[in-house]
Amino acid sequence: MNCENYQLMLSDFVDGALTIEDCTRLELHLNSCPDCNDARNDLNVIVDFCREQRGVYDPVPDSHAMWVRITNLIEAEHASASHHEIHREAGWFFRMMNRSWQVSFPQLAGLVAVIILVVAMGTAVGVRRFSFSGGPQVGGLVPIPPHIEDRYRQQQQTIAYWNDRVELNKARWSPQMRETFERNMSVIDAAVDDSMKQLAINPHDTVSEDILNEAFNDKVALLKEFSDL
Amino acid sequence: MKLFASDNRKPIKILSALFSILIVLTASSFALAQQKVSRRFPAGKNVRFELKNITGTITVETWDRDEIAVTALMDNRKATFNPRQTESGLVIDIVGDNRGRNDIEMNFKIQLPSRSSVDLETHSGQINVRNVQGDLVRAHIWTSGDIQLIGINASRVFAQNLSGDIYFDGDFSSGGTYEFKSGRGTISLQLPASCGFHLVATSSVKRISLGPFWDEKRMQLLGEGRRITGDVGDGRASVTITNYQGDIKFFRR
Repeated sequence: MNCENYQLMLSDFVDGALTIEDCTRLELHLNSCPDCNDARNDLNVIVDFCREQRGVYDPVPDSHAMWVRITNLIEAEHASASHHEIHREAGWFFRMMNRSWQVSFPQLAGLVAVIILVVAMGTAVGVRRFSFSGGPQVGGLVPIPPHIEDRYRQQQQTIAYWNDRVELNKARWSPQMRETFERNMSVIDAAVDDSMKQLAINPHDTVSEDILNEAFNDKVALLKEFSDL
Repeated sequence: MKLFASDNRKPIKILSALFSILIVLTASSFALAQQKVSRRFPAGKNVRFELKNITGTITVETWDRDEIAVTALMDNRKATFNPRQTESGLVIDIVGDNRGRNDIEMNFKIQLPSRSSVDLETHSGQINVRNVQGDLVRAHIWTSGDIQLIGINASRVFAQNLSGDIYFDGDFSSGGTYEFKSGRGTISLQLPASCGFHLVATSSVKRISLGPFWDEKRMQLLGEGRRITGDVGDGRASVTITNYQGDIKFFRR
């Protein structure tokens, strides 16, 4: 038996309602435990005070109602203590789910309005991202399917690398060579643009996809070849 | 009344004499500016010839001798011209020999055995190949220029440019591979009626004319007419033709 159990027995002990065995056991414990002994002394003081003051105070008019209120208060404190325990030990989701939400009607209306606003903005951004302004556009108007867009982006990185190298050497080229290079590069670029337009209309157009791949490969090959000149 | 007085005729004579001298001097200086180099190299029957040029016309012809004759005509800016003989044939790399110089124009005339393979490349200019019967004929113009392949009977033929026409007149061997690709020129193929091949012809602008080789039972249109695939004859040669913005035309010889 621990201190908590012994302290529960103190009230009966003071009233003389314990059995001889319990009484002996409790006394042995009180002799060896200063905390429980202090609790017994405090209880004795309270009991003695009450006995001395008996008849001094008027009785409560409706003692039953008062005890009901006291009981309710105790239960409410007990429930609050339980929530406090959840608050400390449980996860955020569990804590949130076990929390009692008390909001006024204006608060509830405001909350709903905020949710609607957030969802509307999210939808608008999503639509723009995937349909109109997320990736490259042909002529600034036609959206590109996502798988083509990825490939386009990868190829653009390679092309940008070789293009930089070509640009470094271009100053040394003759005007005729520069003009020839630009004119022929525009042929490939036109093929890329045409294929992209077709793929924007029909993303599963294998012919356009093949032409696009070939045009990309030709463009990289041409840039590589001219990067050394 | 005399139309031309004798005093007036004298200056005209002097002027015409000066003009004639000027023409002669201009012509001779132009001739002197061109430098012609000819070399001959011994070769077997099945030789491989490789040439990588910068700008200019490349003409390849065949003859009955077991040797390769190279005639190069270059401008007065001295270009390095250093043919290398290899175990399999001859290599001329003008790009590599003149690294950092891109203003060199050289015209080549090559004569070699008919069973030779030829691999030709230039940044711009024409490529003409006649009567080559070897394993490979490759003609690649990186930018602008026409390609003419006439009397070709090789098992592998590749012809590619960006601007300019491609003309092929020859035969397809059974099991051979043939690829033609242009940016915006016209690709024309002239073939014998007995020719057999599997075709994949793609033109973004939907201008593919198979002429007498069209067979609606054995061919199909894809991509709204931008591609035609199917077999002609035994279908044993593989022919791939791609044109980004130009026509593809077939003719029967």
